[in-house]
Amino acid sequence: MAQSPPASAGQDGHAGDDHHPEIDWIAAADSPEFKQLIAKRRAFVLPATIFFFVWYFGFILLAGYAPGFMGTSLIGGFTLGYALALTQFLMTFVLGAMYLKRADRDFDPLSRRAAETALEAGRRKAAGGSSSASGDGRGETGSRGVTA
Amino acid sequence: MSGVNYLPLVVFGMILIVTLGITYWASKRTATATDFWAAGRGISGPQNGLAIAGDYMSAASFLGIAGLIYLFGFDGFLYSVGFLVAWLTVLFLLAERMRNAGKFTIADVLSFRLNERPARVAAALGTLTVAAFYLIAQMVGAGVLIQALIGIPFALSVVITGAAMLVYVIFGGMLATTWVQIVKAVLLMIGALTMSLFVLARVGFNPIQLFDQAAAAHPEGQGYLAPGLRFSNPIDVFSLGIALVLGTAGLPHILIRFFTVPDARAARRSVMWAVSLIGSFYIMTTFIGFGARAFLGVEGEKAAGKGGNLAAPNLAQFLGGGEGTTGGDIFLAVIAAIAFATILAVVAGLVISASGAVAHDVWTNVIRRGQGDPEREEPTVGRIAAAGIGAIAIAIAVLGGEGLNVSYMVGLAFAVAASANFPALVMALSWRNFTTTGAVLGVLLGTVSSVGLILIGPEGPLGEEGALSPLTQPAIISVPLGFLGCWLGSFFGRDYVAERNFDELFVRSQTGLGAEVAIEQPQRGRAAAAATTTQT
Repeated sequence: MAQSPPASAGQDGHAGDDHHPEIDWIAAADSPEFKQLIAKRRAFVLPATIFFFVWYFGFILLAGYAPGFMGTSLIGGFTLGYALALTQFLMTFVLGAMYLKRADRDFDPLSRRAAETALEAGRRKAAGGSSSASGDGRGETGSRGVTA
Repeated sequence: MSGVNYLPLVVFGMILIVTLGITYWASKRTATATDFWAAGRGISGPQNGLAIAGDYMSAASFLGIAGLIYLFGFDGFLYSVGFLVAWLTVLFLLAERMRNAGKFTIADVLSFRLNERPARVAAALGTLTVAAFYLIAQMVGAGVLIQALIGIPFALSVVITGAAMLVYVIFGGMLATTWVQIVKAVLLMIGALTMSLFVLARVGFNPIQLFDQAAAAHPEGQGYLAPGLRFSNPIDVFSLGIALVLGTAGLPHILIRFFTVPDARAARRSVMWAVSLIGSFYIMTTFIGFGARAFLGVEGEKAAGKGGNLAAPNLAQFLGGGEGTTGGDIFLAVIAAIAFATILAVVAGLVISASGAVAHDVWTNVIRRGQGDPEREEPTVGRIAAAGIGAIAIAIAVLGGEGLNVSYMVGLAFAVAASANFPALVMALSWRNFTTTGAVLGVLLGTVSSVGLILIGPEGPLGEEGALSPLTQPAIISVPLGFLGCWLGSFFGRDYVAERNFDELFVRSQTGLGAEVAIEQPQRGRAAAAATTTQT
């Protein structure tokens, strides 16, 4: 185990306190970029989640309460139940692919900008002379975020 | 041991040699805690997708679902649908946020904003309960399978499986576990594809004809292609649906896989890779289950054993030319060996997640309170924990024996995951007023209610007559109770630290700002090379 400390040990090191007091998190949460990110993500995830819950649990309820209906033959032994089950597979692929596309196109750029804003607010706060590193940034919020 | 079957033994041996080789390679690249628990966060999205598929598609998926479809038709397929749709819950609610917010265990996410020690203990309890049920189920499955297919006695089979699993984890950590899972996923896909093609070839590649032939070979006829053969109580079907769709997002051995990728983008990509593999796999299990029904018929039910677990290997033997033919023996040996690899990859993932809860959560952060140098210390503690957990699991599986019902225990694992882990994680990541008391109460209520309801239910030790609850599936009650516990506990008092840290957790989980970074590849390569030269 006698090994020279790898270069990453300092930054990746200690459990227990993984917090980053140098970043002004309250300003970050208040920044317009971050709020836009949350709004955009929610605008996709919320309806998509409601849709897949309704579609899936509708299928499950039909399977439980209407076995005869689910056993209706479409083509020979291929029943309505199997057709609906296949739509569940299709739904999983389509919603997943849509999420990935949105994330690459919309969420990631916003997320990067929100992170930059937060880092900048943290630097400003530090430059402003506050040295309280406890992360209690309430009184000293970056001037930019609060106005948003 | 007169009935030992040598051909599958040889194929099993080859799989062991390959995976042990991987472990040797990985052991040279595993020095720090980040290496041991998270493979240095250097696994790519597609690699992690394969590994997730390998981690997720357990013996219950391959042998179990093929067997259930063979016996019950449509009701068996209900499991497949739930197991797949569940990934939308993971993708939309947890995958990226786990990557950004966590470090090595799911407790990291809870303890980030809550009072560290109680939050970690609660999360470790959830992790260990799920891992214990799942692990013992897989070990028993392995024992039954090896005994039936090779002729090695049950107890010895369990010990061999357990020993291999411990070697992967103890020497190769997460890197070896990951690559064992990748190899297994590839083998499993090839095996399932080959069997599906053989089945389809017999019906002129016309799936409709397969459906018709399967139904004709079942006493219920067309009823085989409709729901209702396995489940008589619609509430149980609904409750099972809840457990499957929310439980996956609470399985610790699945969630920790997201810590092995460099960033959130790779995390979500890995989900889609996994979805593609798992989705096509479940389509193929339908062909396998229907093939078994169409070709093995009612006469094959006895040989398929309890729950139909041996339907898939028996079908392989039939497709290869039948019992006693060379083709039949070879196909059986290959499919049996793949099933064995399937179990090995899953149990390795379970052991590493359980030892993370013991070493990283309980030892480093609760007992030692983060003192010392966890990056150096944790791999050692983790190895000891893995050995202990493995020994206990082997002992319980051997003592409990073949009588333990595998699918019953996997059901327990999913119910606890959905009722205890999932509510606490979602609340911690999205509700500002969530408190430590809420997390502890939520995990406790979720665990106790889901385990309790199963124990007093018709499949529990009280039996069908003495059951105090009519439900075989507890999720419909225990999941709301888990959320209720989180909410009620948070109602008792405000947790100002948790509220203040919520902003940090929220921004971090959504943007990745401040998230754990990957060990950079070039630097890592040099460091690893230097380390091996100085160490040897």
